[in-house]
Amino acid sequence: MNITPVWAIFIGSIFTNNILFASFLGMCSFLVCSNKIDTALGLGSAVVFVMFCTTILNYVLYYYLLVPLKLEFLGFLIFIAVIAAFVQFVEMFVERFSPDLYYALGIFLPLITVNCAILGAALFMVIRKYNFVQSTFYGLGAGLGWALAIVLMAGLREKMGYSNVPTPLRGTGVVMMVAGVIAMAFMGFAGMLNIQ
Amino acid sequence: MKGLKGILENLRPAFEEGGRLARLKPIFQALDHFLFAAAEKTPNPPFGRDPLDVKRYMSLVILALLPSFAAAVYFFGWRVLLMLLVSYAAGGLVEVLFAVIRKEEINEGFLVTGFIFPLILPPGIPLWLVAIGVSFGVLIGKEIFGGTGRNLFNPALVGRVFLAIGYPAALTSTWVQPLAQPWGRLLAPFGLGVPDALTSATPLGLAKSGALTGAFELFVGRTAGSAGETSALAILLGGVFLILVGVASWRTVLAVLASFVGLTAILHGLLPAAVPPVWFHLLSGGLLFGAFFMATDPVSGPVTRAGKWAFGFLIGAAAIFIRSFSGYVEGVMFAILLGNIFAPLIDEIVIRLKSRRYANER
Repeated sequence: MNITPVWAIFIGSIFTNNILFASFLGMCSFLVCSNKIDTALGLGSAVVFVMFCTTILNYVLYYYLLVPLKLEFLGFLIFIAVIAAFVQFVEMFVERFSPDLYYALGIFLPLITVNCAILGAALFMVIRKYNFVQSTFYGLGAGLGWALAIVLMAGLREKMGYSNVPTPLRGTGVVMMVAGVIAMAFMGFAGMLNIQ
Repeated sequence: MKGLKGILENLRPAFEEGGRLARLKPIFQALDHFLFAAAEKTPNPPFGRDPLDVKRYMSLVILALLPSFAAAVYFFGWRVLLMLLVSYAAGGLVEVLFAVIRKEEINEGFLVTGFIFPLILPPGIPLWLVAIGVSFGVLIGKEIFGGTGRNLFNPALVGRVFLAIGYPAALTSTWVQPLAQPWGRLLAPFGLGVPDALTSATPLGLAKSGALTGAFELFVGRTAGSAGETSALAILLGGVFLILVGVASWRTVLAVLASFVGLTAILHGLLPAAVPPVWFHLLSGGLLFGAFFMATDPVSGPVTRAGKWAFGFLIGAAAIFIRSFSGYVEGVMFAILLGNIFAPLIDEIVIRLKSRRYANER
């Protein structure tokens, strides 16, 4: 049982334990899709939605199906299957009912399947023994934290358009360094809220 | 001066293209620009005439920092001057190497970074840490983006935060207690090593255990703390000058101070035991120094006016939250770095809102 208050989990998962800057999960899409603020915003909101819903789904499946059957070792498989299936479902649903949004999100929806931050959120939920309400807010907070991170990076990268980065560092190299500096700044929040 | 000019003119051909020392042209150019005006003329338009060029800008900041530097030497001894020399030497080396390799000019911006850096460090810090911190700050905070004017973060802050996270023991146990004599520490002996009059607590650290330092001591600066941040008096002297000459933005400073004071008042009202009163928080630690000299950095802060307000509010709020609730005693450096990170996004939001308003007016 985890007794951390829900508001602390929510705020903490956005700032103090930001899933990207504290755990460095979801780096691949963070590096690739942070070129423009609009793209980042699109991917970020998709991640918030998917992370929120799959955390709830995974919670229900894990505690009401796997635990009673003593099949906890299947957790990884089930979580990934749920995430992939959910993303497919959302994609079909969005395509059918809101083509505009579908084209705006483009390639990002399928990309989310392989975003390890989403699997990470489901696993943290189990490791930290969150209850249902805590898991819900953790999923939402971690998603918002990831979205905040990628949008911040996109802002910095747009400003970096005026920079003159040494050729070998252009692209991923300098973005990794900037992410490191951001992570250093976020370390200032260390110890503020403990959500373990 | 004439003789000096003659020597420089004689040397000039060697540094021009095809000369023997052409590779080292940035060094010659910096010396030339520093002693005289720029010899090169801008060959084609647009021509801009502004008495406030980058060089004047930077020298005004240094002028404004002098009171704080004098206070630091008075309270913490001549070792601060040694720290400044190390900072200039180590950071300057990185700057010169980059300029030579990338065939760019040496930029005056470094003079400010190298001057600020020792002032935001504990005065008893080992000198090799000064060198490591300033090199990291100049390299990661500035040079990888192409030098002054193109950096995303304040280089001095990047170096400071790096030291605070990477060498926490050295950064929290090397505070120096000022002496009570009228001549301060000016006559105290000093050496290359770590001084022996160390204390382990700044006013903010003491306040965590309930002991508040007096307002007068905090205002004058006779307390332990980072070299240049303790004397509110000296910071105000330089800071107000910087605002009057138009180098620092009063909006940023006012926004930082307003949100900091407002939130501290609220938090003190809610949790009087955990959060000391407003006057104490305002005068202690690096808040004033950060607000006047670091948050106002025109390169790493936002450009829009509304953005400057939002940027300042964010810094003030983050500073008091980190001070009150996180594991770190002082939060101003993290707060300003966070401000730098949010700055481009803030600008973008302000510009989008404005352009939407104009579009609606049509």
